[in-house]
Amino acid sequence: MNNPLQRVVDALPALVWTATAQGDTDFLNQRWRDYTGLTVAQSLGRGWQVAVHADDLTSVTIAWEHAISTGEPYEVEHRLRGADGVYRWFNARGVPLRGPDGEIAQWSVLQVDIDEQKRTHALHSGEKRLLKMVARGRPLATVLTELCKLLDATAEGCFASVLLLDRSGKRVQQVIGPGLPASCFNFRDDEPFTCAAGPFGLSAQQRKQVVVADIEHDLRWADGSWPAHALAHGLKSCWSSPILSLPGELLGIFAIYRRDTGTPSAVHQGLTQQFSFIASIAIERAQSEDALKRSEAFLARAQHISATGSFSWHLGSGEITLSQQYCRIFELDPAEPITLERILARVHPDDRALMRDMIERVRTDGGDFDFDCRLLMPDQTVKYLQFANGAIRQNDQIEYIGAVRDVTSQRLSDEALNTVRSELAHVSRVASLGTLTASIAHEVNQPLSGIITNASTCLRMLGAVPPNINGALETARRTIRDGNRAAEVISRLRTLFSKNLISAEAVDLNEATREVLALIRIELQKNRVVVHLDMADDLPPVTCDRVQLQQVILNLLLNASEAMIEVHDRPRVMLITTAHDADDCVRLAVRDEGTGITAQDVERLFGAFYTTKADGMGMGLSISRSIIESHNGQLLAEPNDGPGATFWFAIPRQPCFDPVDDRSASLPRTEP
Amino acid sequence: MNARVLIAVIDDDESVRESLPDLLREFGYEVAAFASAEAFLASDSLALTQCLILDRVMPGMSGPQLQEELIRRHYEVPIVFITAYADRRRPHPLPLRGAQCLIKPFSDGDLSLAIDAALKDR
Repeated sequence: MNNPLQRVVDALPALVWTATAQGDTDFLNQRWRDYTGLTVAQSLGRGWQVAVHADDLTSVTIAWEHAISTGEPYEVEHRLRGADGVYRWFNARGVPLRGPDGEIAQWSVLQVDIDEQKRTHALHSGEKRLLKMVARGRPLATVLTELCKLLDATAEGCFASVLLLDRSGKRVQQVIGPGLPASCFNFRDDEPFTCAAGPFGLSAQQRKQVVVADIEHDLRWADGSWPAHALAHGLKSCWSSPILSLPGELLGIFAIYRRDTGTPSAVHQGLTQQFSFIASIAIERAQSEDALKRSEAFLARAQHISATGSFSWHLGSGEITLSQQYCRIFELDPAEPITLERILARVHPDDRALMRDMIERVRTDGGDFDFDCRLLMPDQTVKYLQFANGAIRQNDQIEYIGAVRDVTSQRLSDEALNTVRSELAHVSRVASLGTLTASIAHEVNQPLSGIITNASTCLRMLGAVPPNINGALETARRTIRDGNRAAEVISRLRTLFSKNLISAEAVDLNEATREVLALIRIELQKNRVVVHLDMADDLPPVTCDRVQLQQVILNLLLNASEAMIEVHDRPRVMLITTAHDADDCVRLAVRDEGTGITAQDVERLFGAFYTTKADGMGMGLSISRSIIESHNGQLLAEPNDGPGATFWFAIPRQPCFDPVDDRSASLPRTEP
Repeated sequence: MNARVLIAVIDDDESVRESLPDLLREFGYEVAAFASAEAFLASDSLALTQCLILDRVMPGMSGPQLQEELIRRHYEVPIVFITAYADRRRPHPLPLRGAQCLIKPFSDGDLSLAIDAALKDR
């Protein structure tokens, strides 16, 4: 003890001991004895090994015996029991001291307390492991369970738990506390989470740490069941801290329980802060992942309902990403790698050039543009698609993103609608002519019937022996009367389209023509008629019956279209011209390049019942002419210099209608 | 030879009621003419008529409706329908029960044949 060197050795802030060449301890410094609480006598020889943690004893023994037998340095980390029974980590290093002969004379061993370092390291690697779990998207409950276990392992005597709150922050969604029995946490998810429930409620409400150093004697919850419940599980203290998101939203409660009373040390507070933070990252990550999943599900559903797919094409890497709905529209197997070629293969052969052109445009200028294109599916059905595309530039890389919408059903219904509309135009034209024809037939057939019957009777009376001259005279007179009646019917029909039935209004001939064209657009398209318009800009309005005028225009356009049906060796061009003539008439001419008419045809064309069509009524042009003439205009036809014919009408801007006898202007009878 | 046979002509058109009876009398039939089906049903001729020349389309009771009414009253009179509506493509609005139908205008020969055939069915 009086040896100065030994005083130094005893004062060293480390455990020091020496051993013989055979490995028997023969000296231990004061610090060793103080730390372990063992006497020198207890520790001599291999006696010191009783303080080594049972789990580390084997490695310590092996390392020590190895050093003794080989003379190599002794180095090992192990836990050593202190006088208070608590184990701490030590780093033990021993080197041999050799005599002049080179033989080992003695071993000296230095043991340094690395417990703090060891714990910090374990904590760091534990935190790293937790953050990795978060980053890898492991389930939140798994991450939080690991988090609690890590705290329990790091802070002696502490039992961590995490209360997860729902979005309202008012209800407990889940409790995690692997170090404590589940019965500790008797929260009900249908009950609001209030201050009265326990320190967690208070902590949640105040958004700050609530320390209950002595559950048994804390009066704040004396009226509630919480203290008794905690005490029943052997818990004496509880420190609750709020887990807050970055924007300050309450996510949950991090609580540490202990089986003894007390307040958190600086170390505990550091751990609490650190673990609450990791928990908040884990919870926020899980929440945003949920939100992302929900929004992805929404998007997929919306895409499905609206038959819209989306895609992105990274021009640099060539990587193509398609949404589920995009694959469904293109009927592509998403499991197979998506290439431009696979997409192009689905495009309708007639539209492939267009698609390639679009792809080329993307590559060169990368602008925004929309286009329509068709797909031809393996079962030969055609799909109509609308593309809307745009480019995003990021770090000099162009990513091309877009949406594609399947408009097939819309397109088909549009087409069906147009067909119906065009058929309707046809039906109404035919029906109006048909009704008219039936009325005319009825009106004319009545007097004709009388004429024929009377004439037959007359003949019979004259042929009788003796002839009945008076009867014959009477029937002959009736024949003449009925003949006049028939003529009267015809003239009455002509006045049908005269002043009394005309509703006069100011009509823009150009607009009226465009309306008719719109009505029969599909019909003309079907007949592959190319319509050229040459309309006068300065056309004044004309006073006329709009509906009747449009009937005439419709008739001329359909006639022109039908006249070109046999034309296969040249375009079926229809030229519609409007003009304001010098004599203040407005004129519309329809020129076709069809089979044409001869000069002799021209007059017969307008006679009633003249038709070149097998199923025609031959009434169209005759009625059209009546309409135009009732407007004091004229309707004419002339053969073209080239193929086809031109039909045109001209009507004065202010027509003076023929004075017409009102009594004869009644409508023809129609069949009931 | 047909002096005893009474034919009723029912047509709302006056020229038919005027001309057709003269022709039928030339054929040798007795003729009574009526402007409507209702007038015929109300007349004494109803029980005596052996053949009807009946306009199909008339104001009030139509030709086929009169035919139905006669069947209902058990007057099994043969009928020759006449009509000015020449649309042969349109189906008849009411069944004509095998009766013939002449389209106006018709010839005296067609009328004679139709009446002969109708009377044969009696």
